[in-house]
Amino acid sequence: MTHLQAEQPSPRNPTVSEKLRHLLISQEGVLFVIMLVSVLFLATRTDKFLTVDNLLQQGRFMTEVGLIAIPMTYIIITGGIDLSVGSILGLTAIVLGWTWQELGFPLELAIITGILSGTLAGFVNGLFIVRVGVPPLIMTLATLALYRGLAEGISEARSARGYPEWFFQLGQGEFLGIPTQLWLLIVAVIIFAIILARTRLGRALYAIGNNETGARFSGLTVNRHLLFIYTFSGFMSAVAGYIFVSRVSTTRSDMGTGMELDVIAAVVLGGTSIFGGTGSIPGTIIGVVLIQLLKNGLVLTGVTSDATIVVIGSVLIFAILVNNFIQSRRGE
Amino acid sequence: MSKSKAAPVPRRPLHFIGIALALVILGAYFLLPFVVQPERGPSTVAMLTESKKANELGLFKTGLELIPLAGLGILLLGIWNVIAPAASRAISLLMSVAGLLVVVYYINFFRDYAADEATFINSMDIAFWIMLVAGVLAILQILIPRSLPDERYRIMKLYGNQESVILFGLLLLVFFIGIANPRFLQERNISDNLQGNAYIAVAALGMTMVIVTGNIDISVGSLVGLLAVISGRLVVAGVPSPLAWLIPLFVGAGIGAFIGFLVAYLRIPSIVVTLGMLSIIKGILIIWTAGERVTDMPADYFLSQMRPLGIPMPIIIMVTLTIVVVLWMRYSATGRAFYALGGNAEAARLSGLSQKRLLMTVFTLNGVFVGVASVMYSTQFQIIQVTPPPALELSIITASVVGGVSILGGTGTAIGSTLATLLLNFIRSAMIFINVSPFWLKAVQGLLILATVLADLIRRRRQRL
Repeated sequence: MTHLQAEQPSPRNPTVSEKLRHLLISQEGVLFVIMLVSVLFLATRTDKFLTVDNLLQQGRFMTEVGLIAIPMTYIIITGGIDLSVGSILGLTAIVLGWTWQELGFPLELAIITGILSGTLAGFVNGLFIVRVGVPPLIMTLATLALYRGLAEGISEARSARGYPEWFFQLGQGEFLGIPTQLWLLIVAVIIFAIILARTRLGRALYAIGNNETGARFSGLTVNRHLLFIYTFSGFMSAVAGYIFVSRVSTTRSDMGTGMELDVIAAVVLGGTSIFGGTGSIPGTIIGVVLIQLLKNGLVLTGVTSDATIVVIGSVLIFAILVNNFIQSRRGE
Repeated sequence: MSKSKAAPVPRRPLHFIGIALALVILGAYFLLPFVVQPERGPSTVAMLTESKKANELGLFKTGLELIPLAGLGILLLGIWNVIAPAASRAISLLMSVAGLLVVVYYINFFRDYAADEATFINSMDIAFWIMLVAGVLAILQILIPRSLPDERYRIMKLYGNQESVILFGLLLLVFFIGIANPRFLQERNISDNLQGNAYIAVAALGMTMVIVTGNIDISVGSLVGLLAVISGRLVVAGVPSPLAWLIPLFVGAGIGAFIGFLVAYLRIPSIVVTLGMLSIIKGILIIWTAGERVTDMPADYFLSQMRPLGIPMPIIIMVTLTIVVVLWMRYSATGRAFYALGGNAEAARLSGLSQKRLLMTVFTLNGVFVGVASVMYSTQFQIIQVTPPPALELSIITASVVGGVSILGGTGTAIGSTLATLLLNFIRSAMIFINVSPFWLKAVQGLLILATVLADLIRRRRQRL
């Protein structure tokens, strides 16, 4: 489950100690150790950090990034990238608020319209990337501006407020003592981790990332896979947009600005190679959690929130460095 | 673009049309009573504005209508030279720009003239400058050595390269918006636009080099902010202004070298390194400044507000650096090596190029350009904001990419990125002039970026066939 990209399959079943060793020196293992060390360190500095309430609260905050990080992992594994996720999130939020407040849609329908438009935005990305052959970085760079522009144009800088009580259940409510959206994230992570690691669809993504031409010649429907993951990315960004609106109770066109970088940082930190071909959902989730815990823990220990981004940037570079070192040792 | 060496071409009669046109324009510039005054330009305008009845001057008797016709001629000659390249392409492109501008300015002028108003005359002083440039270019294109383009290049026509696509867009924009709202063409608007965005163009030069080698730098936005504040704080602390302009260049080079080291020697992908650096630099900047903007710089600090020879400094820096980078990337060994590295890293290695050293060089150079950009940015206004314009790195990357730099490395030129910076910002300004709702500006801009990228892609695909 952890070293999905191991290149030489062992001729015999590995022993438990070998398995453990593999687990430890895998990217996820290294990262997990880094996370444990940070958590322990932070916990000794302040007693407000390692409390159930605080951790659950952090879970609430990281859900949006976490949800988008799942399709982003898929996309980066295929060697692509999606910079437009933050803008899709903003667009979804605006469509949701606008159809409800200005067009008078029932709120349920407005939510569906919002999510559909976000999904459509992702589909458009995928369509151009697959059919026209625009490099993903360029396509999503253009739609980063376009979708944000649409959000600004539709909203005309007005914010929508005054949602009914039930609307906040997802973003601010709890279910069985755990923030509602965290349930959604947990279920999504489990499902999509299994899909990536254990199904034909998931394995095909690795094949595409390692050698797209090779994958094509092996009879994989590469285009359909790519189209699917970019649409999926739009869909998840849209769901994250809905959760965002529900959490902060208002709709503004600048929502999710710069989020693409947070998401990519988490995915890359989680061991997904930006060149494609390797990576896993557990790694990504550890990346998301690590960043959120560092942000929160450092603030609680009295570091200003601006200083925390310095630490996160350093951790990102450092973690990749350590991993490069370990992987090259393993390769010998 | 075609890189093949070819034999010199004999000069054909067509080339000498340029001389004739230049003579008409330069002759008009020096002889016509409309233009000739003790001090050219503004005073002429003052004279014309005074005699509100422009008709009294009897301008048409003097052959003034020859100027736009000559401008049209230069425009056509420029375009023809781009289609069937017989002269240096850069000159041809500039010729068509100058020619078109002459035409647009005079169309507006005549329109005012016919209406017996003298309002547009106020912006004619910029047209005089353009006339001069157009004339000089038309002569230059004869003098510059040319070579026979290879057969493939001949059929590429106008969409032969992304630079001409961008230029074409720029021309259409100036033409239609200029006709729709002549105020768009006034010196104030043009020069505000050029000055305000020159620093983006300079940063895009460095970005172009980085992307040509197949890398990317997304930390430039926050680096501009950091270096601007360093420069501002130094000069407030009493450091002489010239030093305060230079130090950011060295700091930028240092940070660039560090990024280059991580990319080249520790083999971390550049997008990851610069993503990390983005956070680190931004954080350091906010902690260090505590959000306080820098004010009270001495009067001699404002480099961007200087106007040597009457031309704003940012424009001089932008044009000079663009020319230098274009020539350097085209003719120097290192410049060619960047293309080689981006085109095929393995082949570059086998040809004996040191990938590590090249990467160090390109990131260090990028740091220097960011340094220059940050000084241009910090000396623009009386205060230096500690937060650079949001998503500045995206503007810079977009300029490079729209300018024709392939994100996969190996192709693209500096002139393209500068033109693209101008295009993107003129589009923005143009939309304001034709009353597009400000809320839709970004959407239209995004759509146009997409259109440019698609045009580039379709062109590349045809070339491959």
